[in-house]
Amino acid sequence: MHGVKRVRLTPEALAAKKLREQSKIKEYLALSDEVLSKKASKDWSREAFDLTTRILQVNPEFSAAWNYRRNILIRGIFPGSSATEINDLLTEELTMTTVALKSHPKVYWIWNHRRWCLENIPDGPGTEGEGVNGWRQTNWEREMFVVDKMLDADSRNFMAWDYRRYCLASMPVARPETAELTYTTRKIEANFSNFSAWHQRSKILSSLWASGKLEHSKSKEEEFKLVRNAMYTDPNDQSVWMYHRWLIGAGEDKELLEREIAIIQDLLDEQPDSKWCMESLVHYKRLLLQKHSSLLDAGSVTNDCRRLLSELRVIDPARRRRYDEIEKQL
Amino acid sequence: MARDERELLTALHVSYIQNLGKSTDDLAYHLTAHLRLNAIYWGVTALFIMGHPEALDKDEVIRFIESCWDEEAGGFAPHPGHDAHISTTLSAIQILVTYDALDRIDVPRVAKFIISLQHPSGVFAGDSWGETDTRFSYIAVNALSLLGCLDQLDKDKTVDYIKQCRNFDGGFGRCIGAESHSAQVFVCVAALAILDRLDEVDADTLGWWLAERQLPNGGLNGRPEKLEDVCYSFWVLSAMSILNKVAWIDSEKLTSFILSSQDTEKGGISDRPGNVVDVFHTHFGVAGLSILGYPGLVDLDPVYCMPATIIEAKGLKKGWKNLERRQFK
Repeated sequence: MHGVKRVRLTPEALAAKKLREQSKIKEYLALSDEVLSKKASKDWSREAFDLTTRILQVNPEFSAAWNYRRNILIRGIFPGSSATEINDLLTEELTMTTVALKSHPKVYWIWNHRRWCLENIPDGPGTEGEGVNGWRQTNWEREMFVVDKMLDADSRNFMAWDYRRYCLASMPVARPETAELTYTTRKIEANFSNFSAWHQRSKILSSLWASGKLEHSKSKEEEFKLVRNAMYTDPNDQSVWMYHRWLIGAGEDKELLEREIAIIQDLLDEQPDSKWCMESLVHYKRLLLQKHSSLLDAGSVTNDCRRLLSELRVIDPARRRRYDEIEKQL
Repeated sequence: MARDERELLTALHVSYIQNLGKSTDDLAYHLTAHLRLNAIYWGVTALFIMGHPEALDKDEVIRFIESCWDEEAGGFAPHPGHDAHISTTLSAIQILVTYDALDRIDVPRVAKFIISLQHPSGVFAGDSWGETDTRFSYIAVNALSLLGCLDQLDKDKTVDYIKQCRNFDGGFGRCIGAESHSAQVFVCVAALAILDRLDEVDADTLGWWLAERQLPNGGLNGRPEKLEDVCYSFWVLSAMSILNKVAWIDSEKLTSFILSSQDTEKGGISDRPGNVVDVFHTHFGVAGLSILGYPGLVDLDPVYCMPATIIEAKGLKKGWKNLERRQFK
């Protein structure tokens, strides 16, 4: 089980634990049987709904109970409810799953249930001020708040990031992408190692550049500044080097490649055993050879690569076979 | 008595798996009923890879699978009375193929259930509630292939979605826009392998990303700057095997890491040394060791995550390359 320490119990302690669990098991199985038998008999009553609440509070991973709960809402409860009541019910569902998420941040079923709730918020309230999307907007805004909290608790939770992208793409009133760019800046500045935030940044920037909302070359220069700062802060952090590789791309721009190679070389001079400096230098020098070989002293660049690869084999022996293969391709 | 953790404690792991079904006095057993059929697949496959195919009662397992049939949906639920899902449907098919008992199911009906879960974008949903994920695309491709029904699949549409999940680091995510994650890399690469579309993989970039999953303690992580975990041994290694790049990491150090995560008293393997074991990590630990050529183990097909001879006998073998099996010293 992920992250749970193995504890050796004495036979007596184990027997006591089993005894304690016996009544819990009996209670849980009785509840589970009741839920499943009501589900089998297509009982869509409020009583059945409350039973699913009880069992899901004990076991939020019980996928069939979540499915059954939604079926009760759709078939038993919504048909006799006004739009206001449906909105209230779904808001209540979202509150209940927020509690469940805090203790179970990586349970697919809980995130799924939230999506379903959001997608079923009815039109309303219909007042002049809020129009037909008022309830929806209120719920989606709160959802972004919940996602922020989840990512504050674990900034790498990929379910929360995926859910964040889903929310951003589906909100009735879209947030500007520049706001999301600012969010990733905040996350990265809090922790350079947060590759999830760098990844998100690469997606947002691609979109902003493609739409012309940000001027490509100026914005890219700012990214180089940001990533350079991070590289100098911790040259061993993969996240930063991967992002740098994305900024460089296929290496069509010779001047840019040479400038970045010089900067990394400076850093390597300061940190002579930096694997990531060497690894990146090999990659960018190979790009030079592949894209611009006629414009440079290919023999000397190739020799640089060979020298760096033999150093890499020493400081990073786990991956030496990869370095061998790269050398063969030179 | 603690045993030597430098070797795979096969006998202990076999008895650990055999005893799982008898743990009904354990609350955790009941709280994980929603994973039961998957757990049986993990257990059965680990037993076959350890060379103990007889360790579970085959007829009992098959009867249990039949009791998980969801007549309304046309697929298999994780447990009797629960709901059909594409993931547990694949587990049922994999176990039945492993036991050579596929004749026990209504193949056209199950194929229809799987096909019905494809969305217009090309991705698959897990069930009728509509959660989509590239995991489910792989599951659909794997299951239809095992059922001999791949001709019913819209392959271009399936590949097209997976392609859009590829990131600049060569890896793949759960959905379009998602961060690369080694479990998603496995499912996307294996699906493309089954569909003969590995041309969609940037093997050098992805090979680099995969090789960088290895940490100084030998274990593999699932994403940059994360902790190691035994289950990534399989997710990362399977993709490396399919791309013929297993040699790009230190296999000895990874082998030691997996072995050090064994419970040397009661059997089973955990996510990392000293943690509580479970059948999921036991299966993926053993699967990883098989890919690494650990002596005495049976070959694992990394594409289907099943015994290689069974996949080969069905004519489904793809061009993967595990490390050569070593001999006991």
